Amino acid sequence: MKTLKKLASVATLAISMTFGGVAAAETIVVGGKNFTEQQLLTSMTAQYLRAKGYDVDTRAGMGSAVLRSAQENGQVDVYWEYTGTGLIVYNGVKERFGRQEGYEKVRELDMEKGLVWLQPSDANNTYALAMQASEAKAMGIKTLSDMAAAINGGKELVLASNAEWYAREDGFRPFSKAYGFKLPRDQIKRMDSGLTYTALKEGEVDLALVFATDGRIPAFDFVILEDDQNFFPDYAITPVVRQETLDKNPELDEQLNKLSGLLDNAVMSRLNAEVDVKREDIAEVTRNFLEQNDLI
Amino acid sequence: MKKLKYSSLFQFPVLIGALLLGVYLQRSGLIDGMLFYWEDVVYLTKQHIQLTLISGSLAIIVGLPLGTILSRPRFIKMSEWAMQGLNIGTTIPTLAILALSMSLLGIGFVPSVFGLFIASLLPIVRNTYTGLLGVPAHLKESASGIGMSAGQMLLRVEIPNATYVIFAGIRTALAINVGTVPLAFLIGGGGLGELIFTGIDLFDTEMMLAGALMTALLAITVDILVAGCAFLMVPRGVNPSRA
Repeated sequence: MKTLKKLASVATLAISMTFGGVAAAETIVVGGKNFTEQQLLTSMTAQYLRAKGYDVDTRAGMGSAVLRSAQENGQVDVYWEYTGTGLIVYNGVKERFGRQEGYEKVRELDMEKGLVWLQPSDANNTYALAMQASEAKAMGIKTLSDMAAAINGGKELVLASNAEWYAREDGFRPFSKAYGFKLPRDQIKRMDSGLTYTALKEGEVDLALVFATDGRIPAFDFVILEDDQNFFPDYAITPVVRQETLDKNPELDEQLNKLSGLLDNAVMSRLNAEVDVKREDIAEVTRNFLEQNDLI
Repeated sequence: MKKLKYSSLFQFPVLIGALLLGVYLQRSGLIDGMLFYWEDVVYLTKQHIQLTLISGSLAIIVGLPLGTILSRPRFIKMSEWAMQGLNIGTTIPTLAILALSMSLLGIGFVPSVFGLFIASLLPIVRNTYTGLLGVPAHLKESASGIGMSAGQMLLRVEIPNATYVIFAGIRTALAINVGTVPLAFLIGGGGLGELIFTGIDLFDTEMMLAGALMTALLAITVDILVAGCAFLMVPRGVNPSRA
């Protein structure tokens, strides 16, 4: 009998907790992708919104497509997306737009899906291919066309890519078509996003897929090969929020736009370097940044 | 023989089930989706098998003598510690072993092989050691009673009696090995992990399944092969499966 009573009380407690949670204020779920910059943005947004009095949950470290589906399904309320990715990968847009037109286009297309692109930041985290400065100089490679010419001329260059870019619509296959070169399968090494930098630094590969705002590019003395054919679109970092979430929290868009207004390439590169090069803690780096800008 | 009769009763529904599953998959277009990656699957499966074969054979070549040496009376004091160390080592997740291997050797094929080698070494050494120690004392006594030297005793009495346990270790090691190879992708080692992880990142179920099913198939194949070797190589008198 005693055990029954105990069980009953535990059950009541559990049930009341479950439903009590629902009755309380809605939490805002902040999502993020699986590389340093996104971890920073997730942590920054979460701390900022908590300081503004929201209940915040974080879901970090997903692949782009997974995160996007999670947002469409309402499991993630807000995360920072890149305009180029939104256009090409999620909306299958083939033509290339300038910075502003691209943003307007993706905003319009995603509006129909109930996702709102807020104010874009000045940071453009485009994909890029990097080489060691010394090697690029020795081979006389400045642009991606030079690189393609070198490969077509019989130079055996090995490329490090991450999993996602190799298979994306703005990724390796269309890229190699645009520049008119072919790399045999065994000269493409795929690995975790953060490792392409290490691989290039250690000289295990000749070319690495990098993100333009990554702090390791200057720190490791890499050069970015110029995209002279303009293959890559703009990837402006922009907060994307579900319309429903905005309706429930009328001040949210203004608050996130304020954050977005603080970000540009120099800021992102510095924050990324503090984590990847100086090995500082992500939460601490973002807290310092928010404090410096009087946001918390 | 009785056992076999029962299993034939079960086989029929299983076959029907497999057929229906196949039909369903064909209808849902999943098979076509997976065949789209066929070229990738073939290329990566080769890499996968390479990684498993090289790291697995290295682990067998090193693990068998190591386990044998540790089981000798001369090293019995040291082996207690060594086995404790190996037991703790077995609890380290394979991903962590790969990460450590990366910090030592950089990225690519070599550190992947090394990490997999370490991960598969432990079960082989442990089973060799326990198998040899588990040989009944009366057998060893009779062997020395008829005048065998220590070397003869090892080769003619202890090893044949321990083979079954040793093979069980190799089987475990290789199964772990094949299942761990996908993680080698993360440190640039290639293998079917490329399809699995890219599939996860891009939410592309077909790509993910193409990699995952092939990995599962490889694991099952390796297991059957090792079981077959054990069946043939363990002497009839001490082989439970041939008794």
